[in-house]
Amino acid sequence: MSGGVYGGDEVNALVFDVGSFSVRAGYAGEDSPKADFPTVVGVMENKDEESMEVDGTPSTSIKDSAEKKYIHDTTSLLYPREHMEIGHPLKDGMIEDWDMFESTLNHIYKRHIQSDSSLHPVLMSEPPWNVRIKREKLTELLFEKYNIPAFFLSKNAVLTAFANSRATGLVIDSGASHTTAVPIHEGYCLQHAIMKSPLGGDFITKQAKNFLASQKIDILPPTFIASRETVKEGQAPIFKRKEFAKGVTQSWQDYMINTQIQDFQASVLQVSDVPYEEEIIEQMPAAPYEFATGYNLEFGGERIQVAEGLFDPTVIKAPGLEPSTMLSMAHIATSSVHLCDVDIRSALLSNVIVTGGNSLLLGFTDRLQRDLSIKTPQNMKLKVIAPSAAAERRFSSWIGGSILASLGTFQQMWLSKQEYEEMGRGCVEKKCP
Amino acid sequence: MSDVKDILEWDIDGTSKAPTKEQETVSVVSKEEIIAGSEKRPKPKKSNEAIFKRPEGMHREVYALLYSDKKDPPPLIPTDTQQGYKRMKAKLGRCCVRPWKWMPFTNPARKDGAIFYHWRRAAEEGKDYPFAKFNKTIQVPKYTDQEYQLHLHDEKWSRSATDHLFELCERFDARWIVIEDRFDHLSHGKRSVEDIKDRYYTIVNKLSKVRSDPNLSNRAQQMYDAEHERKRKAQLNRLFNRTTEQVEEEEMLIQELKRIEFRKKEREKKAQDLQKLITAADNSSDLRRTERKITKKKLPITLSRKKDQDGNMKQIPETGGIKFPDMKQSGVYLRSQKMKLPSSVGQKKTKAIEHLLDELGIPIQPMPTDEICQLYNDLRSDMVLLYELKLAHANCEFEMQTLRHRFDALAPGKLPSTSILTPASLASLAKPSDKVEDKSESATPPEAPSSPSKVKKITEIIDVVATTPQSPAITVTPQRKRRQAAVEQANLMKKIKK
Repeated sequence: MSGGVYGGDEVNALVFDVGSFSVRAGYAGEDSPKADFPTVVGVMENKDEESMEVDGTPSTSIKDSAEKKYIHDTTSLLYPREHMEIGHPLKDGMIEDWDMFESTLNHIYKRHIQSDSSLHPVLMSEPPWNVRIKREKLTELLFEKYNIPAFFLSKNAVLTAFANSRATGLVIDSGASHTTAVPIHEGYCLQHAIMKSPLGGDFITKQAKNFLASQKIDILPPTFIASRETVKEGQAPIFKRKEFAKGVTQSWQDYMINTQIQDFQASVLQVSDVPYEEEIIEQMPAAPYEFATGYNLEFGGERIQVAEGLFDPTVIKAPGLEPSTMLSMAHIATSSVHLCDVDIRSALLSNVIVTGGNSLLLGFTDRLQRDLSIKTPQNMKLKVIAPSAAAERRFSSWIGGSILASLGTFQQMWLSKQEYEEMGRGCVEKKCP
Repeated sequence: MSDVKDILEWDIDGTSKAPTKEQETVSVVSKEEIIAGSEKRPKPKKSNEAIFKRPEGMHREVYALLYSDKKDPPPLIPTDTQQGYKRMKAKLGRCCVRPWKWMPFTNPARKDGAIFYHWRRAAEEGKDYPFAKFNKTIQVPKYTDQEYQLHLHDEKWSRSATDHLFELCERFDARWIVIEDRFDHLSHGKRSVEDIKDRYYTIVNKLSKVRSDPNLSNRAQQMYDAEHERKRKAQLNRLFNRTTEQVEEEEMLIQELKRIEFRKKEREKKAQDLQKLITAADNSSDLRRTERKITKKKLPITLSRKKDQDGNMKQIPETGGIKFPDMKQSGVYLRSQKMKLPSSVGQKKTKAIEHLLDELGIPIQPMPTDEICQLYNDLRSDMVLLYELKLAHANCEFEMQTLRHRFDALAPGKLPSTSILTPASLASLAKPSDKVEDKSESATPPEAPSSPSKVKKITEIIDVVATTPQSPAITVTPQRKRRQAAVEQANLMKKIKK
């Protein structure tokens, strides 16, 4: 099997894909990541050592610096801890807090990979607009601190295109913090034509929160509830609130509420096939949802109204968000195509790849297809590619990295430790396009 | 007990020696044998038993009773497996397993000689990395300082910008769109893809001209016309930026054009058919006259001569009416056969003929003398011609009427009042012999034999009239079209009632 027919060659590489919602990590060549946990990090001032032992998994909290302790992974984060603030290592998709990020890497190596970092080359994804300073800092961190044998940085949009077996295409990545349209041409992303819109999963969460607040619905995560009773639809919930012995922080409470809303988002919200109209919306079937408090209700037209802002920003009525400055999903796609050379436009339009967790909203791709087909010239073929499996869309850039790093022909692309020592941190700019 | 022994592969016969090597290989079934099927399996040799020969005089049946049973006992249950439990002894692999090994390797495609580890067959240890051969790069020519100063200087491109460009070309393997994307537009000025390509190809071409390097000069001159490319892209851009309305309008216009052309063609074809019919009418009447003279003069002609004449007649351009077949078959035939209508004449025409014959008081089966035959056939042929002409005339008239209405609807009051275009006058032109139906048109000149030139003029007029109103028809609103259709419908109804 070592011939050229089967193009894979295993070098035990690791693939890390750090997104603004979750971190994916695992071995190259596998079909799904070994680890998938939230990017957010619990930050605690390091005062007393005993509090570590509360949930029986002391090793998940890693002591990185003298004064701060970071807590990772779903189970540990959900546990109420005194004075635990919620922090985010990324900002705008790029690494902002290096301490948190390092602790995340430690966590991955210790809890999920459970192997020595010096044995595995590392392929990491990055946002297409990543700046040079951050790339170099990341390279330095991995070579100096983790002593990895080889490193490669690749744009996540390119990896997504590879995961969908395409070297050219327009990647529409609707993630948590934003939605982007990135044109990829022969495996390289065209940086001048990237379009970004802040309308992503977080925006939908905010919209849903506003909507639920306007309906006077109390959102409480299950952790906060001691007991509850079954009530009929639409009736006031009967439940007992749990009193925590120690005070928990506001940021953690917000995080917990957001996870609750995200669940609501995933099970109730829907994007309509056609632009928002009252009559059509009223005919939509209602979706029942039961909150953690026991309160349950059927949501009809509202479930479409909340998500409509993605495709028609003029309907957004939220304080602090200027609807006029936002771009809808179809708009960013077409503007991105317009910024590209006219010769490759047809190739881009016939390979529109939809990815990202937010694109899993019911009806997202259908609506995108419809809106795009209106804006596409008639002589151009439009094809929207969206893997139907949820995991494939959530992990697409990780899967692309897994494919890339296990290719025989890729093994010459690694930025090796020797090269790093010879040329210094600047080589990442040269070796990784 | 023997079965057990058999399963355990002990010797069934205790006395026999240990299995030889040959026997062992036989008992092991190879993959090929399984695939080939059980029939081909070599049967283990039976030990040589002393065969009791049939003694002289013993009956064959008796002998069979005595000895055949022993050799081949009759099976109690019919079975098709020959060996049963003994079969499964497959050895699928051809040889021993080839081990894999976690080993270090260097990739010749890498310049730094970094060592990675991978799984590989132990036998292939030390061999070249198989994927290195896929490492293909393009050759970007390099220039020296001297060459640059002598030949490659350009007002628009600084040396540093050119160097930057060539570095990018090498990095991205001349993927121009990527190069344009990554080009440092801030420090080297804004460049389009065409500028970049133009610069690159001029340098490559110049270098290959200047140098005597066979590698470069052998390469064909790479033509690149930046101006043409720019124009092409501008046009593509314009095509891309069309709005939906523009595209729809264009499509509509194309369809309209097609429809117009189709109608024109149809019209021409119709006019041609009409023309053919008219000339046929002329010819046949002329022919008849001459023929009659001939037949009167040369009544007693021989058969062969007549046949000759028939041949002559065939040369005359196709006539309307019925073409009666020649009686070419040998042997005797009834003359009445000559009067039989050929099958090419349709049922409608046959009906019309019968009707007319009835009107004129001619029997359907007259006495078939030679002359009567001839005349009768001619008469019927004329009848068909007349019928066709009438039909054509009716069509023309109907069309005239619709066109008139359409014209009236489009440009009311502008209808030309020339009498030549009135259907009545046209009718008198087309059917001079029809007295029954044209009583009302008796005022029009009766002496109007359809002279080809005049008719041609008319058909031309028809054509012109037919084609011209098409162009304004494009702009007709749907409502108006509907009204037109209604008018036409009414017209048609009137026609039928007549």
